Amino acid sequence: MSDASKLSRFEAVVLVHLDAAYNLARWLTRDAAGADDAVQDACLRAFRFFDNLHGPSPKAWFMTIVRNASLDWLKVQRASRAEESYDEDLHTAGAAESVEAAAARDSDAHWVRVGIAALPREYREVLVLRELEELSYKEISAIVDVPIGTVMSRLSRGRDLLQQRLLQSRERKRS
Amino acid sequence: MNCTRLQQVLDAHIDGELDRATTGEITAHLTECASCAALREQRSALRQALRAHAPYFKAPAALAPTIQRSLDRAMAESAAKLQSSATGRNAGLSWLHATALASVAALAGLIAGYWLAQPLPDYPLRDPAVASHVAALAPTRQLIQVASSDRHTVKPWFQGKIDFAPPVKDLAGDGYVLIGGRLDQVADKPAAAVVYQVRKHVINLFVWRATDKAPNSPAADPTANSNTDVTAAIATASVRGFSVTTWAAGGLRFAAVSDVDGRDLTRFAQLVSAP
Ligand SMILES: [Zn+2]
Repeated sequence: MSDASKLSRFEAVVLVHLDAAYNLARWLTRDAAGADDAVQDACLRAFRFFDNLHGPSPKAWFMTIVRNASLDWLKVQRASRAEESYDEDLHTAGAAESVEAAAARDSDAHWVRVGIAALPREYREVLVLRELEELSYKEISAIVDVPIGTVMSRLSRGRDLLQQRLLQSRERKRS
Repeated sequence: MNCTRLQQVLDAHIDGELDRATTGEITAHLTECASCAALREQRSALRQALRAHAPYFKAPAALAPTIQRSLDRAMAESAAKLQSSATGRNAGLSWLHATALASVAALAGLIAGYWLAQPLPDYPLRDPAVASHVAALAPTRQLIQVASSDRHTVKPWFQGKIDFAPPVKDLAGDGYVLIGGRLDQVADKPAAAVVYQVRKHVINLFVWRATDKAPNSPAADPTANSNTDVTAAIATASVRGFSVTTWAAGGLRFAAVSDVDGRDLTRFAQLVSAP
């Protein structure tokens, strides 16, 4: 395969999933620049190993690499800035919050975003892959590298946690 | 189907992951059981809220062109590297270099066949394996990039970093304790180093591809494909005070290096290579 044809095949088979890659990286790193870095890194890795594409689907294969790159990014960040918190998404409400922002904070949209972002990673990643990417349990199992039964139980547990938040948020609104 | 069982599989049911028979049982139960039906309603509402409100972060517009540029750069660099290895190393070619050159010349299909048919020349690889082992133990170097005694952590770590899947085994019961892995090189070839410990001694197990793949050959998945199988028997030698055990299987080359007794290392190799 020539380099040029490899590149065009890579674009057609792998880079078509760039949005999915970015979405997963963004939810994992919870950081816009981190997602940029992780996706770029993942694309280079995927291109290098493109001849060895395997797994249930090209998307699942690419997402496995994106996930690894995101976790590597997190590791580097944690090592270099161990004392800081990365839950930037959780710190959206500043001191001078506008009336609209306060209203938005109690909206369903807000609790969904904050709720997912606050989930422990093992639940967050399976939920994003299922609810946002709509991948099958088999694909998720390959990406996260756990048995299908574990995918099933993590999804259940993640949804339980989100459900509790939904109820709390609606009760707050009523009171 | 009772309520407990239903609640265990309710999510998988909503996700459409269950077989038809189970789906039928669940549907039947849900029409009869109000409390399970209420749970299903809650889950459906949750799903709707998630799909309606969870932000989907699309790649920023600038990202695709940036990636394009870095891929172009990577291609240019690898082309330059092949060029320089084709012209720069005429003296003292090892068989690894010879096959690398052959693949540059797009002859690897033929040449690799020739090499595979020959008894594998083991001895030139023992020295580079020992050199890599010694370098990895240097205080400035990182012996472990992924530290874990869990093979389910170490094995997937290599995915996306190297183009084959090195075997990673739990041999703690035999006294060989997995402590982690890292990326390394043996004779300029990218290699997975799986690190074990026996008593106080480190064992580096280097794994790398037996030959360069021909650019025109179909993509081979080393985990699935065994018709290009290279096998070489386990052989242990002593090099510069280290024990080195080498063998080949499944298109991969293996070298275990340690300062333990050669018999311990041979035993280790037998355990690693056992199916
Ligand atoms: Zn019931």
